[in-house]
Amino acid sequence: MSARPASRRPFFADNPSVLIFIAALGVFTALATILSEGFGLGLLSTSLVKTLGKTLCLCMIAIAMDLVWGYCGILSLGHFAFFGLGGYMIGMWLMYARTEDIVAESLANAPIPPTEQEVVDAIGVQIFGVVGSSEFPWIWTFADSLALQLALVVLVPGLLALAFGWLAFRSRVTGVYLSILTQAMTLALSLYLFQNDTGLRGNNGLSGLQNLPGLDDTPQSVVSIWFLWASALALGLTYLFAAWLVSGKFGSVVQAIRDDEARVRFLGYPVEHFKLAVFTLTAVIAGIAGALYYPQAGIINPAEIAPIASIYLAVWVAIGGRGRLYGAVIGAAVVSLLSTWFTGGRAPDIPLGFYTIQWVDWWQVLLGVGFVCVTLYAPKGLGGLVDLLVNREIALPGRPAKRSETVGDARPEPSET
Amino acid sequence: MGALLQVDDVFVSFDGFKAINGLSFVIGTPELRAIIGPNGAGKTTMMDIITGKTRPDSGDVLWGEGGASLLKLSESRIAQIGVGRKFQRPTVFGAQTVRDNLLLSLKSDRSPLGALLFAETAEDADRIEALAEEIGLKDALGRPAGALSHGQKQWLEIGMLLAQDPKLLLVDEPAAGMTPQEREHTTELLKQAATTRAVVVVEHDMEFIRRLGCRVTVLHEGSVLAEGSIDHVTQNQQVIDVYLGR
Repeated sequence: MSARPASRRPFFADNPSVLIFIAALGVFTALATILSEGFGLGLLSTSLVKTLGKTLCLCMIAIAMDLVWGYCGILSLGHFAFFGLGGYMIGMWLMYARTEDIVAESLANAPIPPTEQEVVDAIGVQIFGVVGSSEFPWIWTFADSLALQLALVVLVPGLLALAFGWLAFRSRVTGVYLSILTQAMTLALSLYLFQNDTGLRGNNGLSGLQNLPGLDDTPQSVVSIWFLWASALALGLTYLFAAWLVSGKFGSVVQAIRDDEARVRFLGYPVEHFKLAVFTLTAVIAGIAGALYYPQAGIINPAEIAPIASIYLAVWVAIGGRGRLYGAVIGAAVVSLLSTWFTGGRAPDIPLGFYTIQWVDWWQVLLGVGFVCVTLYAPKGLGGLVDLLVNREIALPGRPAKRSETVGDARPEPSET
Repeated sequence: MGALLQVDDVFVSFDGFKAINGLSFVIGTPELRAIIGPNGAGKTTMMDIITGKTRPDSGDVLWGEGGASLLKLSESRIAQIGVGRKFQRPTVFGAQTVRDNLLLSLKSDRSPLGALLFAETAEDADRIEALAEEIGLKDALGRPAGALSHGQKQWLEIGMLLAQDPKLLLVDEPAAGMTPQEREHTTELLKQAATTRAVVVVEHDMEFIRRLGCRVTVLHEGSVLAEGSIDHVTQNQQVIDVYLGR
């Protein structure tokens, strides 16, 4: 009946959500493009297009979080560190190349053509003047190369996750202790970046990232759509990759680790290696998501990777429903867009006579109550609603729904030997 | 019958309590062996040591013809070279289907990369069918393992162990909580498995052990008290005093 046939079916037959998701993402992107200022009717403001593009990036890191937490059972509260690092890596190139353009322009009319060193010095003054310096720190060694900084978008979060994960998993740190360690990691990184000595402009962070070097004549309304496309493509590929990952044997092992780690060990699987692989892989996904997010945000500073950001990420995935990829996407999209709406000052205040509820302050309370309610009453989250609908569909043509398959009705006869 | 596993003068203490106290025994292959003993005799600790979960304070555990020590290997490595363990409480992966549970246990490359690139062959499918037939779960392959009855879970777990194709099978109280019919089936499964490998059964239930009809080792306070046929050990005065007489 609804039992899965014994042999493996084609990937998309087993994962109908992938095609539905990619179709929905395509329709969404096309609609946004048609309604945008840059390419269409102009009904969507450029800032709204940017918000949507950023939301797609947040959905991407939510998938990473779902893989590591919902599927592998590692409650990482540090994945925004990797997201931020991805942003910093691409931000360094954007800032350097853009400043280089400006400096070249302003020095073009100088009576004597500037030497290479003078150009670099001028860039240094432009970028680091704000922290009282003009020297390029070693961190910026590759900032003039887009290719190398793109490689660092993957390598820096990946290597940090690899080193951190290797130390933590090898010592069999699990559960809440691991969560605390990941919080410590993101806090330490944030504090490190806050320092001017680190060389990433301290609390000023990197700014002007929305301006693409060499494209001064292209309006933001067009650039924002480009980034929307890039984010949609990256999200689609991430979803496809994640679905492939969890549907195969690797996914089977990973979910088994979530449910009973010791048992998996006695089956002969090196549990720590699997955890490390998932942790590192999701850190890389988070890094790429960050590299797409911050050019749309325009600015990145160390506050972005404060511990609270990673906790929000866990809240999104919990509200959306962990252990299902679309749940993570729905959770991240709904909660982050609601958050933007409530904290953007556009949500109407509620006057109670003696007190006025202002959503800018009260949104977090609402989110907290929502989180508690979902945890208590709908542990499958918003994604569980999708299941409910799908099961009803199955039940419609006069067949019992999946639920009817209950315990013990197929008890085999003991064999007589 | 060559020696497969040799536990040699092993000592373990937890906070001063001597859980294992000079334990030595040898398991051959193929062999069916029952290990009995009162609570606290060290049965579970003994299995923890063999499977690498607990490290002994002294002594050695030797494996196979070459007599390599198991003590330096990780749990997963010990499982890979052929030690399978069944826990007292059936531990199957409830969220996954019976089929996926068996596939997970089937011999294969255990590394993450191996799992990532794994493609099921027709041979694997046949093996799963055969195992499901053997453990009486052929019709339940597509069901989530969490929806099985207690006895079915026990069999699934035995099936998973057989899928691992271990050289040594450690089974902790396989008959606990089973109906008489289920016990009979379990006895057959274990006897069958012991024709090609070593099977060590830890059990409380004398009747069940009598039905296995194998050599029995009696543990007491972390060391071997007596060893021999069931009739031999049940007539041993010391065994009667510490265990049977109560």
